[in-house]
Amino acid sequence: MNGEAILPYLIIIPLFGAFSMPIVSLAGKKAREAWAVLISALTLVVASAVFYHVWDTKEIIVYTLGAKTPFGQGVDFPIRIVWEVDLLGAIMALTVAFVSLMAILYSIGYMKHDTGLDKYYTLILVLELGMLGIAITGDLFNFYVFLEIMSIASYALVAFRNDTWEGIEAGIKYMFVGSIAGSFILLGIALLYGQYGTLTMGYIALKILENPTVTAKVALALFIAGLLFKSGASPVHMWLADAHPAAPSSISAMLSGLVIKVGGIYALARILFSIYTPMGHVVVLKSYLQPYINMTAVGWLIIIFACLTLIIGNAMAVIQTDMKRLLAYSSVGQIGYILLGLGIGLAAYGTHAGEVALAGAIYHTVNHALMKALLFLVAGAVIHEVGTRNLNELSGLAKTMPKTTFAFLIGAAAIVGLPPLNGFASKWLIYESSAIYNPVLGAIAIIGTAFCTAAYVRVLYTFFGRPSERVANAKDPETSMMLPMILLVLAIIVMGLFPWQISDKVMIPAARMLEQFRLEYINALMGLLGGA
Amino acid sequence: MGLIVKTSARAIIPLIGIFGAYVVSHGHLTPGGGFQGGATIAGAGVLFLVAFGLSEMRKHYNKHLYSALEGLGGLVFLGAAMLGIGTAFFYNTLWHNGPILNGKPGTLLSAGFLPIMNLAVGLKVFTGLVSALVAIAMYRRWKS
Repeated sequence: MNGEAILPYLIIIPLFGAFSMPIVSLAGKKAREAWAVLISALTLVVASAVFYHVWDTKEIIVYTLGAKTPFGQGVDFPIRIVWEVDLLGAIMALTVAFVSLMAILYSIGYMKHDTGLDKYYTLILVLELGMLGIAITGDLFNFYVFLEIMSIASYALVAFRNDTWEGIEAGIKYMFVGSIAGSFILLGIALLYGQYGTLTMGYIALKILENPTVTAKVALALFIAGLLFKSGASPVHMWLADAHPAAPSSISAMLSGLVIKVGGIYALARILFSIYTPMGHVVVLKSYLQPYINMTAVGWLIIIFACLTLIIGNAMAVIQTDMKRLLAYSSVGQIGYILLGLGIGLAAYGTHAGEVALAGAIYHTVNHALMKALLFLVAGAVIHEVGTRNLNELSGLAKTMPKTTFAFLIGAAAIVGLPPLNGFASKWLIYESSAIYNPVLGAIAIIGTAFCTAAYVRVLYTFFGRPSERVANAKDPETSMMLPMILLVLAIIVMGLFPWQISDKVMIPAARMLEQFRLEYINALMGLLGGA
Repeated sequence: MGLIVKTSARAIIPLIGIFGAYVVSHGHLTPGGGFQGGATIAGAGVLFLVAFGLSEMRKHYNKHLYSALEGLGGLVFLGAAMLGIGTAFFYNTLWHNGPILNGKPGTLLSAGFLPIMNLAVGLKVFTGLVSALVAIAMYRRWKS
């Protein structure tokens, strides 16, 4: 199978689905639901094919829009938009496509009492499209466009239930914060473009290696600031704690599982490792004898934010009484783990601990996407059946909603990191590497998990209590809502059974491709120069 | 609005529409293009809404039609981008081999799929902006 031939369909299919949704929905309610499910299922097929291709060949796919080669006639620099997919990008694309399909399936039952659903399904496909675009793009401005597509779709979806005050409030807050973050990123891109005159990520990386200027450092600071906003890192996580509870639960699952990771963590990893390659420290000093940007310091900056995020997010989760707010703060806490892995991967670049930390971060990104999607879907089912998110009123759900409670149990056990489930391996990699790198960081990570455990045990304790009057008439939701939960539970259990195989076969190679010890990301692009 | 405004609007709306259509269709030759032209034509729609009022607009505006046309604009854009998928996404096969649209540069039929894309974007921007403004104009009442 040719990876380059199928890659554009990752964008074409959701785009086609979103554009045709207003026309298809003229045919009625059933048609648009079937259409959304069909489109996202096809996207999942394409994403799996792309992932399999990249994983199988261990090569970076470079796809040029508009011609066979990114280079113009007679010039030796890329002039066209390229899409560049390494293993990390392929993993993110696969996760996005899978969780999106689950969320869309779930929406059929969950959203059926709402109005304006043709817009809903258009927006959810556009959201998926934006995230897939971020995962595959190799062009900085293209990245910004997809980031804004994703962001604007998610603002609209957070405020989708515009007859509730909290939907509007959260939507406005998210929109203001997100737009400011987006403008930071745009300013960073403008600075880099002004300094180096190109927007292709691989080529900018080469240019920064040749001439690491102050402008590049300022742009890096702007990127980090903007992307920490988008990922919900600690001092700027306030929008997240409002947006996730207010959104419809299928959207919370996508926001928490995907948007903050693809738009925040993945983009950060791509910019830190592919544009500002830490390898440059060695390469530049050797060949040009001038100081490169000190990426160890950048790594420590990320580690500091990660530790703050870890403690604050998880600690705030313990004291919540609103179920979805608790899950939102828990997402902030888990973002802290991923940032910690990323930061150690950068600060301990080139050592075994750094590689393990990076692999752990990538692994935890996927795992957390699955389990937080599951937990939000469960929360949605509870709200749908009982009509409240207040944990104090939800005691005894295990009696009346046994399947849902079981799904929550699995999700909570996985997020805490109990051994037979998938959260264990990824957290273990992060603990191990942080303990090797700096024992204090390991201790902070453990404290975070202690808070996280406390929060989830509290919820489970509520669920298994004596049934209150509110939950007496509740029952498990319908099939279209149960099915995504069951599939996510299965994914969590199956991934939990083969943790080290997945780590060795997928996550470590992904971390290695991202670290690019031989500047693979740049070479995959520039290597096309001779061959075309 | 008063009689003078309505009469002027009657005269000006076609002119704005024609100028917008000119900007859209000459997007590959002169400054402007799909977005600018589409926004100009949407300006004609806004003038209609302001001059003749919401009740008159309701008679001439069909939500489903505008929504479907907006989708159609996007689909045409995507379709034009897919014409050269054999080489690459967005490969301008109409310019390199195409039947009509590969004339001498500087003439109207000279830019491959660009005129098609400009028309599609113009349609999408026009219908999208008009739909958005009508939806805002129709928004329930001032108080709750």
